Amino acid sequence: MNIYLPIAELSVNILLILSLGGAVGFLSGMLGLGGGFLMTPLLMFIGIPPNVAVATSANQIVAASVSGALSHWRQGLVDIKMGMYLLLGGLFGSITGIWIFQLLTSAGQIETFLAIVYFILLFSIGTLMLIESSQVIRDRIRKKTVKRKMHYHNWAHRLPFKVRFYSSNLYISVIPPIIIGYFIGILSATMGIGGSFILIPAMIYFLGMPTSKVIGTSLFQIIFITALVTLLHATSTFAVDAMLAFILILSSVVGAQLGVIFTNKFRGEELRALLAIVVLAVAIKIGTDLLIQPADVFSISVLKELY
Amino acid sequence: MKHVIYIFLSLIFYNGHAGALVIGSDISEITIGANFSGQDLLVFGAFYSDPSLPRDAKGDVIIEVKGPPQTVQVRKKKSFYGFWLNSTEVTFREVPGFYYLTSTTEINDELLNKNSISLLTPQDTQQIEWGKIRMPRDRHDFLNAMKRNKNNLDLFAVSNDLDEIEILDGNLFKTNIPIPNTVPIGNYTVSVYLLINSELKQDYSYNFKVKRVGIESMIHSLALNFPVIYGFLAVVIAGLMGWISAEMFRRLRKT
Repeated sequence: MNIYLPIAELSVNILLILSLGGAVGFLSGMLGLGGGFLMTPLLMFIGIPPNVAVATSANQIVAASVSGALSHWRQGLVDIKMGMYLLLGGLFGSITGIWIFQLLTSAGQIETFLAIVYFILLFSIGTLMLIESSQVIRDRIRKKTVKRKMHYHNWAHRLPFKVRFYSSNLYISVIPPIIIGYFIGILSATMGIGGSFILIPAMIYFLGMPTSKVIGTSLFQIIFITALVTLLHATSTFAVDAMLAFILILSSVVGAQLGVIFTNKFRGEELRALLAIVVLAVAIKIGTDLLIQPADVFSISVLKELY
Repeated sequence: MKHVIYIFLSLIFYNGHAGALVIGSDISEITIGANFSGQDLLVFGAFYSDPSLPRDAKGDVIIEVKGPPQTVQVRKKKSFYGFWLNSTEVTFREVPGFYYLTSTTEINDELLNKNSISLLTPQDTQQIEWGKIRMPRDRHDFLNAMKRNKNNLDLFAVSNDLDEIEILDGNLFKTNIPIPNTVPIGNYTVSVYLLINSELKQDYSYNFKVKRVGIESMIHSLALNFPVIYGFLAVVIAGLMGWISAEMFRRLRKT
């Protein structure tokens, strides 16, 4: 059964979209990540134009992060003050990101840009996840327990404009959160991702936030950043496909819940190792597409007339 | 599901020379809704024998369907240190968003050029922005690449199949033109050309519309005309869906 997507202007198999949304939702529920980093490239694989894939993926993440942030909010695991400083940076970052996106689109290089950044991103995530999960599996076999540092003191604590973050029990400069937010904003607008897999380690290692508050706070700021990115794409690239977003949200929320149930019944490390392989496979596919001579070196694009 | 659009054409000759055409047609519209997956456009008509013409005169028809004009950019990829990146670019203006040509006979380019029966008419080719592409051979490559890529999307075809137009009883003809699900919206023109002994004698054009309907049309016009409202709505709906799903599953888990 096919459904016509009004903004992408093509008809796609609805079951394909539902299973894609469900699968990405399942993985995100299982791992506690947004899943945008898989959603956007997979949408492009099935023929959705890159601008629609990026803009619509951002719209879908709004729903996913609201859903996730609520449970953290209820447990009081959101540092709103920190979230606000991240958002301040993210506001400027997403505007910069949209500007970069439009510049690359008019230069005809957006697809190449996305292929390169996605290759780098997915390859690093896949590799890191594979290393981490295999270490955990190995340590478990050797019955070793790993001690983790509770707090990191680094350059972020020596910069000016220090502010007290009571919720996170921190007294640090506001410059690092603003800068981190800025970069996440750029990534979000150009790639259609929430950026939690970069944001979370950055909050732990650079800001020294307690791990309990990190996920909730990152989800909190992702809601607003992806909402802003959706709005910016809707008004500048006109590429948000509400029909596609609706189907993706519907399938991904169900998938995410199943993922949560599934992850409680199985060991996380093995699942993470499996996902790492999937992520690496997608990375390698994107990478080889850049290196192998395309079947047709010519490609066409129709300039959208705004009427 | 096969929708059919009927276009009744009758080509009538009187007073010894190929003269006026009398045409009857019903409403012609292709509507794109949520389940649009392409349709067939039925074109049919009739020839009438003309007493002034020699008995052995051979009649043929050419049928051309043209979609709304678009601006198409064709880009060529080049290898930069092993990476295939877009480099040169040509912009074609006034390219029909859909083009289909079929005929009962082999048609020569001269006839087509003389009567501007082609994807790009001579006036259109003057509007092409060739950019850095100067060599005629390279320009030809770009033009062919545009046709090939549009052909892959079923948006451009010149049929070589002479039997595609069915002739019934010697003077009735009909054919089905496949309109794919990728067609752009806008005004389309169906042109029927009558050839006698390979000379163009008569032509008739007819318009039909391809338009969006229902929710597809609402989403599209809202997105283009009121992008701020559309963006806000997209965000609010996504947020509500996230919130409702979280609540729903929380209650489910409790029970």
